[in-house]
Amino acid sequence: MLSLKIAWRNIFRQKRRTLLTVLTMLGGFTLSAISIGWADGTYNRIIEMFTRNRLGHIQVHAKGYLDKPSLYKNIKDYGDVGKKIAETKGVMSWTPRFFTAGLASIEDKSMGVQIVGIDPVRENEATRFNKKIIEGDTFSEKASHQAILGKGLAKTLKADIGDEVVIISQAADGSIANDLYTVTAILESGNMTQDRSTLYLHLKDAQELFVLYDAVHEIAIIAEELGQVDEVTERIRTKLDNPELKVAPWQEFARSFYIAMKADKEGAWIMLFVVILIVAIGVLNTVLMNVLERTREYGTLRAIGTAPLQIFRLVIYEVAMMAIIGVIIGTIISIPANYLLSLQGIPMPEQFTYGGIEFTHYYSEVNLHSLYLPAITVVLSALIVSLYPATRAARIAPAKALRSQ
Amino acid sequence: MENKNNDLIVTHSLVKTYQDNGIPVKAVRGIDLTIQKGEFTAIVGPSGSGKTTFLNIISGLDVPTDGEVWLAGKKISEMSGSELSDFRRDHIGFIFQAYNLIPVLTVEENIEYIMLLQGVDKEERHRRVQKILTEVGLDGYADRLPTKLSGGQQQRVAVARAIVSQPSLILADEPTANLDSQTGVELLDMMRELNKKSGITYVFSTHDRMIMERARRLITLKDGRIDSDETRE
Repeated sequence: MLSLKIAWRNIFRQKRRTLLTVLTMLGGFTLSAISIGWADGTYNRIIEMFTRNRLGHIQVHAKGYLDKPSLYKNIKDYGDVGKKIAETKGVMSWTPRFFTAGLASIEDKSMGVQIVGIDPVRENEATRFNKKIIEGDTFSEKASHQAILGKGLAKTLKADIGDEVVIISQAADGSIANDLYTVTAILESGNMTQDRSTLYLHLKDAQELFVLYDAVHEIAIIAEELGQVDEVTERIRTKLDNPELKVAPWQEFARSFYIAMKADKEGAWIMLFVVILIVAIGVLNTVLMNVLERTREYGTLRAIGTAPLQIFRLVIYEVAMMAIIGVIIGTIISIPANYLLSLQGIPMPEQFTYGGIEFTHYYSEVNLHSLYLPAITVVLSALIVSLYPATRAARIAPAKALRSQ
Repeated sequence: MENKNNDLIVTHSLVKTYQDNGIPVKAVRGIDLTIQKGEFTAIVGPSGSGKTTFLNIISGLDVPTDGEVWLAGKKISEMSGSELSDFRRDHIGFIFQAYNLIPVLTVEENIEYIMLLQGVDKEERHRRVQKILTEVGLDGYADRLPTKLSGGQQQRVAVARAIVSQPSLILADEPTANLDSQTGVELLDMMRELNKKSGITYVFSTHDRMIMERARRLITLKDGRIDSDETRE
């Protein structure tokens, strides 16, 4: 207790030096808190866009579908499954999807396509489907033999709004599935590869064409918060309690994207390393100066019976207190700074549109991660560099120290 | 060699050699000395005679190159650093020329510091601090910082800090050197009174004639050896 008292009062002995040291730590903390918040904000926005645009935060499939997709590996009575999902805490929306392949032809142009059956209302709620349409109108609420083509596919088939497209494939019962649909819109999802081969049908039309009534191949789910995806996934698994269904978060079904994002985010460590360097140099200088100036004082403390460990603690406490002050003030500065940047953002030098979402600003984010990581970094690096001066103070020879001026 | 019951400090063939830029310098050259409990002793001698080195060795602040030091029945010349630290805390009080108070602690906190290290409870600490403040004439100064006190007052606090833990020995290195003569006389008379009252042994290292006049035993060192040892009634 007395060590803490002495350490606290020692901080105010060399006010200018303490101020500079605290400013170093405060600067390091604030810099990294804002940069981590910014990186989190930017990456989370990309992840949000990637998942909200098409994939969803969580997906449900029939067991084995993702490893080897097949028309027959489907979710039966998807309405019941969807109802249970909707009742799960943390779920914002869900949308069913039907996937298969076929041949699409307009006049003399033909092409193999991926056919995606969607519920237009649910899909729009979940993934802002209508925003991706660049020409024409979305599906009618009721199935009416309409088709929406990806931009690249429309170009290949030389399709225009109002053209008739013939789809030929094989239905689930083995019969030939073929029918005629009217091109009602052209869509740009932001994924050019996907747009070169995707043709969308109303879910009911797709189920009817492939004779698979009330079945879908995927249910995409949007959670209320990106940060809660793991918990919501677990809740859905418990709620469905069906071994034939696989419930996976986006980190699983979009693994390569997740790994790429993770690797990119790790760039933030460079910033933390810079902070460690700044703090280490600033703190080492201050603490060494303090120890040197207080040699006689430490000698006195040793002479009157203070144990080396108590002297060591005295130096460490002093640094820890300065670091904590730096972190507290830094937190007071960085929370509103990150909040302001999360609202206003910083304009991008070059703006772009992806999947119907316009990217014009870099945005920050207020989260715990952007505070505790710099806090640990600042406090730990300050304490680690203080070990040497603290040891030096603790091992001071009292007789020699008492002779010093 | 062991000490008798009334012997507080016993040194035998005490030698201390320093290395000064690789050249060995003998500061203490074989001192045999016994100081008994309750003595009020001054060690005098010219600069470089080995006074401070001798004082440092008998207080466990420095270790001898050769020879033995016994203090309060313990052979301190063979103790480890941490043993010496504990021993100093419990048995020795220090008074320094430059007072050496902890500048960030108040008078009361400076005085109770050693008791805190000893684990004395709060109530007892407070009681002892109040008593000692009265004894050294600093009633009402408990909450002041050392920087707000005169040199004489600071040295009184140092005396209070040294004696409050009831040590066996007080070592005072030039305690009056930074004080004017009037303040020095008052301080010495106060220490003499405390010596009589409590029986704590005082050993001074000094050039000060006032201390020499008041000491009951005067040991003169010259070139690291005892030149004379005079006891007065």
